[in-house]
Amino acid sequence: MPQTRTSCRSAMLAAATLALLAATGCASTNEPQETARSTLQTAPADLQLLCASAVSTQTGTASDKVLPISSRQIDGATYQVELDAAGKRHSCTVDNNGNVTSVRAG
Amino acid sequence: MAGTSMYSRRQLLLTALISAFALTTTPSFAATEIYDAKTRKWVKYDRATARKMFARNKQAPEAFRPQVVKFRTAEQPGTIIIDGNQHFLYLVQPGHQAIRYGIGVGREGFGWAGIVRVGRVAEWPTWTPPAEMVARDPNAAKWAGGQPGGPDNPLGARALYLYEGDRDTIYRIHGTPEPWTIGLDVSSGCIRMNNDDIVDLHSRIKVGAKVIVLMQGAALYKGV
Repeated sequence: MPQTRTSCRSAMLAAATLALLAATGCASTNEPQETARSTLQTAPADLQLLCASAVSTQTGTASDKVLPISSRQIDGATYQVELDAAGKRHSCTVDNNGNVTSVRAG
Repeated sequence: MAGTSMYSRRQLLLTALISAFALTTTPSFAATEIYDAKTRKWVKYDRATARKMFARNKQAPEAFRPQVVKFRTAEQPGTIIIDGNQHFLYLVQPGHQAIRYGIGVGREGFGWAGIVRVGRVAEWPTWTPPAEMVARDPNAAKWAGGQPGGPDNPLGARALYLYEGDRDTIYRIHGTPEPWTIGLDVSSGCIRMNNDDIVDLHSRIKVGAKVIVLMQGAALYKGV
């Protein structure tokens, strides 16, 4: 008998929590974080510039001579950025958290 | 006859070059889309839609209004970053943040990318159309001697003149009397902002500020 009461209380608590989540808008609605986009999907500007900074450091090229020229999303968490460093091409991968995972020439 | 033949050969070469370029580069120009919260669908945001929405809402879509956003960068506060593909201008702030504004950028064939600086600024600037614009646009031709600053002036309330070293690039970040064009590829290479936004940006930046223009597939401005 006490077990039944406990289960009933748990069910009521769960229902109340769900109702509260829905009422406060915590339930997922799959709304995008950004409400404008381009059909050309590029890496966020700050991630492109983190790659530029990494290329500048790694190659010793002045930072005002390193420019991201194209980028693309590799998967849900990673981008590839192509850069021009004083006329030489470099490729860089960076994740959503801003970690540059690779830099290579060519 | 020889001239015609040479012209044809030149045309063929030019066509071949353009074709090769088209095959080896990613197109820089693409459509802007806006999320419609009612239908939960992305809708095309072109000039006609933008004008209609602006007439209804009296302001740009939410994404193109000024807002503070997270921005992880090694660039100094005060640096201007332009993401031409996504139509955003970022003014770097301390603490890995930036103020983000909506912008209009160069239409197809007029986009560019590079690293420049703010060489000078002006309030309610005079607009003098370049010679090639005077030649192709009768509206520009009547102002060949310069259009005085004012609400109808294409440069709007403020202009930041972009220089490479001590040389004027002819590109500017400026206001506009056509606020519905924010978020679109519409200009001849200049970066346009709402008048309120360019006034705000102008009040926050210093002459000499570094300006990084990102635009995938566009021509690199010389010097990079």
